[in-house]
Amino acid sequence: MKTFDYTVKDELGIHARPAGLLVKQIAGIKSNVTIAVKAKNKSADAKRLMAVMKMAVKQGDVVTVTIEGEDEDTAAPQIEQFFKENF
Amino acid sequence: MGIFSKLFKTPGDVLASPAEGKTIDISEVPDPTFSEGILGKGIAIIPTGNTVYSPCDGTIDLMFDTGHAVNIISDTGAEILIHIGLETVSLKGKHFKTFMNSGDKVKKGDKLIEFERQAIADEGFNTVIPMVICNSDAYEEITPEPGKDVVPGDTIITLKKQGA
Repeated sequence: MKTFDYTVKDELGIHARPAGLLVKQIAGIKSNVTIAVKAKNKSADAKRLMAVMKMAVKQGDVVTVTIEGEDEDTAAPQIEQFFKENF
Repeated sequence: MGIFSKLFKTPGDVLASPAEGKTIDISEVPDPTFSEGILGKGIAIIPTGNTVYSPCDGTIDLMFDTGHAVNIISDTGAEILIHIGLETVSLKGKHFKTFMNSGDKVKKGDKLIEFERQAIADEGFNTVIPMVICNSDAYEEITPEPGKDVVPGDTIITLKKQGA
């Protein structure tokens, strides 16, 4: 299992478009990917678009991303890079 | 409904137009998030009114606190995103008024959101309303009906589930 925390910098948070981009980005990853905002006691399967949107992640939220599966070693840095570049 | 309703004895799930206006092909929406299907397959409406209504019976999964979009899960399992205008998240709620909350049960035709179409356009935003199916993969066929003048309640998408 790989995990990292990321504090969202985008002023508008993870709304519809960024949620779509995230789901598209990780669609090809075999591992299970979950995102959680522990402070709000919320989590979601990052491959499910509606679930990601429902998280309503805001600027300043600390998102904990967990990657668990056969390709976690290669997937985790890719996903972390995606968060840094997009959120 | 003419010949199609006679050909298809079980037409599948249908979604009604959430707004008055004209339907266009989703590929004509000048935003790749929608035109390239990143959020799912669907349709778009060029609105002539100022109100968005529920396209089906279902539950509000998420009313965006900015009022510019709403997610509905239909009673038959379709995950629907209705997005009012393009880039309108940046209005942060200005010009939008919501009438339902996340978790509310809705019936087809229930009023969900009012938006000040002219004011939004005056601020330079495209007011087109994409309606997309976020769980498009659950469906074998998603058949939109672009190029129609519609009023709320008119069928604009027919859904056929995988294996149905």
